[in-house]
Amino acid sequence: MQRLRPLLPLVAIGGLASLPFAFAADTTRFWQGVFIQIFILAIYALSYDLLMGYTGMISFGHALFFGAGGYTAAILLRQAEPPSMLIVLAAVIIVGATLGAAVGALSLRVSGVYFSMITLALAEIFFILFKADDPKLKPITGGEIGLQGIVVPAAIDATTYRLRFYFLTLACMVGLYYAARRLINSPTGRVFVAIRENEPRATALGYNTLHFKLLATAISSTIAALAGMLMVLYEKSASFEMLSVNLTIQALLMTIIGGIGTLIGPMLGAATIRLLDHGLKGEFTQALLPAWLRPDLVFGIVYVVLVLFFPAGLMGAIRKLRGKTSRSSVERLRQAMKPKAES
Amino acid sequence: MAVAAPPTIQAKPLRERLAPLVIPAVFVLIFATVLVVAPASWPKLITGILLPGLTLAAIYFMLSAGLSLIFGLMDVLNFAHGSLFMLGGYCAWTCNQWLDPAYPGHWPLTIASGNLRFIIGLVVGALVGAAVGSLIEISLIRPLYKRPIYQVLLTLGLVFVFDALVRTIPAWGSLSRAPIKPPMLTESLSLLGRRFPSYSLFLICLSVSLAVIIAVVLRRSRIGLTIRAGVQDSAMVEAMGINVRRVFTGVFGFGSGLAALGGAVAASFIGVYPEMGLEYQLFAFIVVVIGGLGSYSGAAAGALLIGLARTFSDHLVLETGLPTAIASASTVLVMAVVLLLKPGGIFNKN
Repeated sequence: MQRLRPLLPLVAIGGLASLPFAFAADTTRFWQGVFIQIFILAIYALSYDLLMGYTGMISFGHALFFGAGGYTAAILLRQAEPPSMLIVLAAVIIVGATLGAAVGALSLRVSGVYFSMITLALAEIFFILFKADDPKLKPITGGEIGLQGIVVPAAIDATTYRLRFYFLTLACMVGLYYAARRLINSPTGRVFVAIRENEPRATALGYNTLHFKLLATAISSTIAALAGMLMVLYEKSASFEMLSVNLTIQALLMTIIGGIGTLIGPMLGAATIRLLDHGLKGEFTQALLPAWLRPDLVFGIVYVVLVLFFPAGLMGAIRKLRGKTSRSSVERLRQAMKPKAES
Repeated sequence: MAVAAPPTIQAKPLRERLAPLVIPAVFVLIFATVLVVAPASWPKLITGILLPGLTLAAIYFMLSAGLSLIFGLMDVLNFAHGSLFMLGGYCAWTCNQWLDPAYPGHWPLTIASGNLRFIIGLVVGALVGAAVGSLIEISLIRPLYKRPIYQVLLTLGLVFVFDALVRTIPAWGSLSRAPIKPPMLTESLSLLGRRFPSYSLFLICLSVSLAVIIAVVLRRSRIGLTIRAGVQDSAMVEAMGINVRRVFTGVFGFGSGLAALGGAVAASFIGVYPEMGLEYQLFAFIVVVIGGLGSYSGAAAGALLIGLARTFSDHLVLETGLPTAIASASTVLVMAVVLLLKPGGIFNKN
């Protein structure tokens, strides 16, 4: 069993790559769509875990980065002469990194719950500005309607080449996962973890923790912006919903359900949430469940129960099954929310 | 706290003693600038900007005072506080609507007097809020005192549960419900030659009197002493032989009840809708962060600042033709500015 472990990622990637061919011809297109969304959400959850799980910073404004990536791509692609995809990609990365660094520079003056709340507030400013049906802002942001009818370069159009887009998002997800894994195992990543574990000690060891926290925010926001861009390419529209608190909460949910600080866990969490959502809203379960039991209510209750009784998430449960007694993620994050006003 | 002050405290530099005044001064300056850019006549300034600002502040205060006290005492950041506000609002709205004999499909039990329905609504709202709050503390928060972050995540989940619950209950539903004012407070008064709704004045009076009563209880009574001591060091209070856990539950219930009462009075002013839980949670956060988490007077100051900032920016936007979204974003901007100048909030002692 142990000797087969290195093969696990290959099996997983192979399984996902052959998945589109496993469904019947009439439903495969639909399921490809579901899995494209799962892959995009997994990238988004991954970026959140880098920040929350590894650096110990709980941001409540992560949707801002997702939305920023999405809106950047949408605005560029709606130009009369849209720039090439490479330029769009570069722009999204630049916007994601600068926005992350800027938000970090503002909010990293404080830590603990204060950090959470400042990020929430900053994200909310953008949400309000992009949602507003204001004559001055609407030409750029689209207001409540959002930006519709985005023309995606024909080669990666998800409507005509659904399967190609499926493999594109899968490749992005796998690539970004390995990049994140590499980052975590690098000396820089070790400092991230050191900050999470004990920031004063990391400072005492001579690390400028502010720089590392800024770096973590910038990397995380760039990955989230890329996820936002993929979402816009798939949906062919951008709306203010991408910037809403709900999306941040989604990131939190996926991370908690999957297991904080495991990278792969939040990605599994993304799949769980999306599939559960699909399952609960499907016709079959609608008929089974009493009418008053709304899917959202089930979801909320399941989440509360998870937090109460399975705080280590899916990965924690898997590790327990395999008999590993590693320190749970609960312990790791014990200090994270303690208020530390002046840093 | 009755701790003998060491003589060195008197030697505190003047600069430090004036520090809490700096930020209010900055805001007075900003408001003054706003008035220079977009001048308003005295009657308009008072009835059109100051009093509506105070009305908002009254709601924000009731909403957030409990949140701040709860955080100060037990380090729990309750994300469902806005949901309890909403719950209070829905309870009051239900009393006003479903107990009305003139309403088609009213409940078997009806009360003819609109004023009485209103008062019952306030009482029911506050009591339900306090009961649900205590219940949440006992059943869900208490097992998690050793894992503070999970308290945050759990109460965040409760926001969803409350939102879905409101939509599920047939008498409430997903629709947004219009405010119902009691007959005794529907008219508007004449103030400085302009009209001003009497309900807003009632809101301001209620909130101010509650603020004063709570402040007196906190400063002068034994339970207030326990709470203030608990905010400083709850382990020490426990070592003194006081059952801190019971105080925790009490303060959690009281804070929730206060928020629910705020929701109940606000329901006759802004109406009720399922999304208001999260929306007002954000306002509550902004208020307590500005004032300094855990500080009671901070919550009052934060509420005042945010209420006034909102109406002042509304005025500025209307007069100068700036995008109206800026007015909605102004509260958040104020918070960002305060935190950049004084990261712990205005009343934080660190």
